[in-house]
Amino acid sequence: MKAHAGVAAAPSEHAIPVPRGAVLTRARWATVLLGLSALAVVTLAASLLLGAVPIAPGRLLMILAELMRHGHGAVDAVGSDAAIVLYLRVPRVLTGFLVGASLGTVGAVLQALVRNPLADPYILGISSGAALGACVAVLFGVSVAGLGLSVLPLCAFAGALLSIFIVYRIAAAGGGGRLPVQTLLLAGVILNAIFSALIMFATSLMTPARSFGMLAWLMGTLTGPDLIGLLLLTAYVGVGVTVLFRQASALNVLSLGEEAARTLGVNVDRVKLILFITAALLTGAVVSVSGIIGFVGMAIPHIVRLLFGPDHRLLLPASALVGGSLLVIADGIARTALAPSEFPVGVVTALLGGPFFVYLLVTRKRGAMQVAA
Amino acid sequence: MTLTAWIAAALVALLSPTAFAEDQTMARRQQGILTGMPFMANLAQRTFVDDLGRKVFLAKPPTRVVSLAPSVTEMLFAIGAGEQVIAVTPFCDYPPEAAQKPKIGYTRPSLESLIALHPDLIVAPHEFIRSDLLSKLEEAKVPVFILDAKVIEDIASHLQTLGRMLGRTSDGDRVATALRQRLAELRARTEALSRPRLLYVLNSEPLITVGSGTFLSQLLELAGAANIGADASLPYPRLSMEQVLAKDPELILFPVGQAEGIPEHEQAQWRRWSTISAVRNGRLAHIEGDVINRPGPRIALGLERLIDVIHPNAEPAR
Repeated sequence: MKAHAGVAAAPSEHAIPVPRGAVLTRARWATVLLGLSALAVVTLAASLLLGAVPIAPGRLLMILAELMRHGHGAVDAVGSDAAIVLYLRVPRVLTGFLVGASLGTVGAVLQALVRNPLADPYILGISSGAALGACVAVLFGVSVAGLGLSVLPLCAFAGALLSIFIVYRIAAAGGGGRLPVQTLLLAGVILNAIFSALIMFATSLMTPARSFGMLAWLMGTLTGPDLIGLLLLTAYVGVGVTVLFRQASALNVLSLGEEAARTLGVNVDRVKLILFITAALLTGAVVSVSGIIGFVGMAIPHIVRLLFGPDHRLLLPASALVGGSLLVIADGIARTALAPSEFPVGVVTALLGGPFFVYLLVTRKRGAMQVAA
Repeated sequence: MTLTAWIAAALVALLSPTAFAEDQTMARRQQGILTGMPFMANLAQRTFVDDLGRKVFLAKPPTRVVSLAPSVTEMLFAIGAGEQVIAVTPFCDYPPEAAQKPKIGYTRPSLESLIALHPDLIVAPHEFIRSDLLSKLEEAKVPVFILDAKVIEDIASHLQTLGRMLGRTSDGDRVATALRQRLAELRARTEALSRPRLLYVLNSEPLITVGSGTFLSQLLELAGAANIGADASLPYPRLSMEQVLAKDPELILFPVGQAEGIPEHEQAQWRRWSTISAVRNGRLAHIEGDVINRPGPRIALGLERLIDVIHPNAEPAR
């Protein structure tokens, strides 16, 4: 997050009046993000204590110290507790944070891009594309021998890419080179409907055991990838989120309306293309790792906007930090409440996010539901 | 959102039959005792009580029977009633002659094609018959007999009940007796043996295993293993991987087969858990899912295969 700080922290880059709330100063920007980063670090550390197998704080510290000193060797020295920390909790907590951060950022970007408070990372048809990919993998028992990679996420990612491609082609064809926002939304909604139908068809061909397994995967899990997969995910999310952060100023301008943005010298079509493609690719990767986790992408930007105002230079990184932290907390609940069993983390996010959203609808009919305007 | 809602609905639909089946266990156990007595059934006017407590009247042994599950098909053929079967599901692959029968859907058979077959009896397992389909069939006056095998003994009594219904009482009793006898022999083989901790991988991503109170869990216990999923209070828990590492299974068992089972590449993923005894000692094993998942006459064969996998060094089968 340090790499792009210079870009995002330059409030005077464009001489644009900030629409609502306090003017974003460099000091406030830094204070809020430092505070949220500290909160995120505390959440991540505390979540290492949560799990089906109780590990006391003292023992956890000892294990972490051993891991620092001996790496993998500590697993042989300490035994299964060290394996639980190194191979399960650390990857899981980090995966949760990366997924939550991506969903939060993408949600904030899409809500500004399509100027619709209900936009979430799945609205572009990406979830159903990923679901269809997973479905095909399960139906045909797709297997990539020798790669050692898990095939289900790969197929889900391919499905997400396919739907991104189709939605983009539909929107681009209808707009004569431009990307009309309404067409983009409608294309996503329609693709969702078509793919959902295909998924239902495919599951009706499966034995109950197989469709059960596939649905369980789709419902959202953060059991997470192995260490190599985690590194890949970190790099991928890091690049994607950075690209989105760099467009924050342009998003501020874009939220004044496309015509206004054009007059102010923003290359609207290029910005929209960059944001759309990056958001879609990020969502596709996240879905392929974690399944479908609802409400994070939709609710987080609203919370952050309420707390810190609508300026995207702060909104985007803050949504990433808050989204990551909240998903880690939600996953902590999902993996301890029913121990030794777990349940899908999507259940927790929907149960927390749903009522919150109703609250927003009821109490803030106008203000909060408008996006950055 | 629509998709999420649909997934939730589908999961509920898949899980709900098991949920409310629990309440009925007691009532059914009592009926099981009644229907398990051949002479009483002969005295009754050919009225049979199924596992939901529904009464099914058959004036004479049916000759146009439809089976809605592979386990049911296997039972019908085992008691020699194969000739009376007119349609089976696409998954009914055993015995081979069953696969030659006309096919009808599995969880979603077409009501019209069912009625067009003019069946005089439909036999279906409780888990997969949808209640709307059942009520439509009742309206159409098609007799439907529902089976719900909760314990292994239920299979033997189902064989006897089906035998009496189909006019093959002696065949049903003979097959049931042989099954009981074989199960008792197999049980005796494992009684004195140590019980290795076992993880049964019903689904690998995410991990789902079998909990206590399920048919499979009983079978694993009978085969002389300690099922590490039995602690979870759910029938099919998503067991926490932490719990798996802490319980340290000595054997990890994957079902494999045509219609269900864990593919190779998902099995390979398990090799990375090097602290698990089963992985260290190379004890990742598989078993043909069909013979242990289907509550049918081949369950003794399934139990025997399980014992061979769990206790490879014990004295071989006689």
